[in-house]
Amino acid sequence: MIWLTWRQARGQAVAAAAALVVFAALLAATGPHLASLYAASGITGCHGGTPCGTAASHFLSRLADTSPYPIVYLLGIALILVVPAIIGMFWGAPLIARELETRTFTLAWNQSITRTGWLAVKLAVTGLAAMVITEAFSLMYAWWADPIGKARDLAASVPGLAHPFTGGPLSSWVFATSGITPLGYAAFAFTLGTAAGAFIRRTVPAMAVTLAIFAAVQVAMPLWIRPHLIPPDRTVVSGPSFFESAGMSVGTLQATTVPGQPGAWILSSGAINAAGQPVSTIPGPCLSSSAGVGKGAPPDAGACMASRGIRETITYQPASRYWPLQWIETGIYLALALALAGFCFWRTGRRRTRRAQSPATMSRQDTVAASPRRSSRV
Amino acid sequence: MSAVIETSGLGKRYRRLWALTDCTLSIPAGHVVGLVGPNGAGKTTLLNLAVGLIAPTAGTIEVLGGAPAADQAQLARVGFLAQDAPVYAGLSVADHLRLGARLNPGWDAGLARGRVGQLDLDPGQKAGTLSGGQRAQLALTLAIAKRPELLVLDEPVASLDPLARREFLADLMEAVAEQELSVVLSSHLVGDLERVCDYLIVLLGSRVRVAGPVDELLATHHLLTGPYRDPGTLPAGQQVITASHTDVQTTLLVRTTGQILDPAWTVSEVSLEDLVLAYMSQATGRRDRGNHRHLEVRK
Repeated sequence: MIWLTWRQARGQAVAAAAALVVFAALLAATGPHLASLYAASGITGCHGGTPCGTAASHFLSRLADTSPYPIVYLLGIALILVVPAIIGMFWGAPLIARELETRTFTLAWNQSITRTGWLAVKLAVTGLAAMVITEAFSLMYAWWADPIGKARDLAASVPGLAHPFTGGPLSSWVFATSGITPLGYAAFAFTLGTAAGAFIRRTVPAMAVTLAIFAAVQVAMPLWIRPHLIPPDRTVVSGPSFFESAGMSVGTLQATTVPGQPGAWILSSGAINAAGQPVSTIPGPCLSSSAGVGKGAPPDAGACMASRGIRETITYQPASRYWPLQWIETGIYLALALALAGFCFWRTGRRRTRRAQSPATMSRQDTVAASPRRSSRV
Repeated sequence: MSAVIETSGLGKRYRRLWALTDCTLSIPAGHVVGLVGPNGAGKTTLLNLAVGLIAPTAGTIEVLGGAPAADQAQLARVGFLAQDAPVYAGLSVADHLRLGARLNPGWDAGLARGRVGQLDLDPGQKAGTLSGGQRAQLALTLAIAKRPELLVLDEPVASLDPLARREFLADLMEAVAEQELSVVLSSHLVGDLERVCDYLIVLLGSRVRVAGPVDELLATHHLLTGPYRDPGTLPAGQQVITASHTDVQTTLLVRTTGQILDPAWTVSEVSLEDLVLAYMSQATGRRDRGNHRHLEVRK
């Protein structure tokens, strides 16, 4: 059965392996040079604090202007996000649907193997391959992007230091393309495709449905679910320098950093006044005090606001929760995958095969209907 | 006589449409059984139930004494060839044989190889490029080489041209003779059944109209032609299957185990085709359902 699974999926497996090899070649061609740039940037020789952050920021800025690193950086992220969807569409959706469409299930399910055994091997072998392939993409990319991640963490430890390649370990795209979440996404997308195929019974519509549902789930997860997997922390930043320490943007008064929590994932933030009401702009009197100082909020504006009791509230997930969140999210996706696999077993086990109506049968019926009706002969 | 397929009150509903209702029949072992009936009689549904591809909505079915497709052992005992003989288009002939070998403990590799060689199939050829006849032969090879006790074939020759049809059936008969298989074969082509079947079941509207060994059926059915006569006046033991009248003449198809003694009748033998058609038209006459229930007859 493992042989048959392999034989039927050979084409897809070769395509996936080829994509993996191309990606690996791209990373191997650019990775060592990226590492040497990092080594030459002076980060390795520094001893923490602002010098390190500055060097890291410098390195990232230089990298952003050096082709092809920004492109490879984005391409890698996009690829790791898209690979599970492709696997769900091209490995999952046809797994059962194509057997039903071409009616080859009548052949497969009449060998000396139970339908449950047949499906178990198919799901296990192809599903594990899907997870391995996706994780392989993620791990290769993690190796390549390691200097960028390290530099980013160093730069983030210095409040207010602007740099390209933003996003901490918990930012949507970094979180979803690193660690073990790709395993969960791959398992979920694959079983989603299989279940859609078993339910819809036609490959192409099942592929479309798989893509739509998977995309919707992947959007919903970082927006509405992941922030609450662990109850977020909340902090209030006050004092004369609250404006700088929270990295607040002048226009919206929203924080970009959490003091003492480099790389934290900010879920929501906003300034409130002494009465606890939200403040969305710098009050007029404080604004005038900063007039003529140039762009950015000058220290006196912050002090002015602080003196009026204005402070910043931030809800966030600290960067230290990266692994707990990874485990929880991966667990959720694996549980969904198991439930979908269970649905596939139930669906095929119920033996609800629609009445065979092949094109040949239909054309035969047409010819019969067209011929004059046979009268009683005797 | 043990039964290969035994059903009781068997019914199958697809959504709101009953494809088979209250079907009770017993198919004896050791025969090549022809299951004949018009489109929509429930032949395919019955056979799919027998191999466990679908589960009954009502009633029970036992195949070789067990529940269809219940476990590996049961699956190994029954070979099935579905309508239009689906095969994996992307797999080669050799791949199909390997599939059979890997998935069937009782696989007879020598038999499979021999058949493929005899059929002149190129092992490297993709099954998707085979002709309809070759495809059916390949599927039959798979079904036979797993060494089943019962071979179930659903309209195996319906889509084949006459030559391929003849070859396929000859081939099937050869395999049956060698392996002592029980075979259940559905068709609406009576001519084919006549060539291969020694037992006939006419299924119509889920009901068994008539069932029995072919030679016995032929020996007990007679076509009577004579002066006009009310069929009700026939002697007891003569069952009228169909009757047609003109002003002066009556033609009857009767079933009786006795002799036809009345000298007024001209008695002639019936062909299997006439017999099947008589049962069909009997039913269509009684329950007229328009064009749905038809028997296609190869002329």
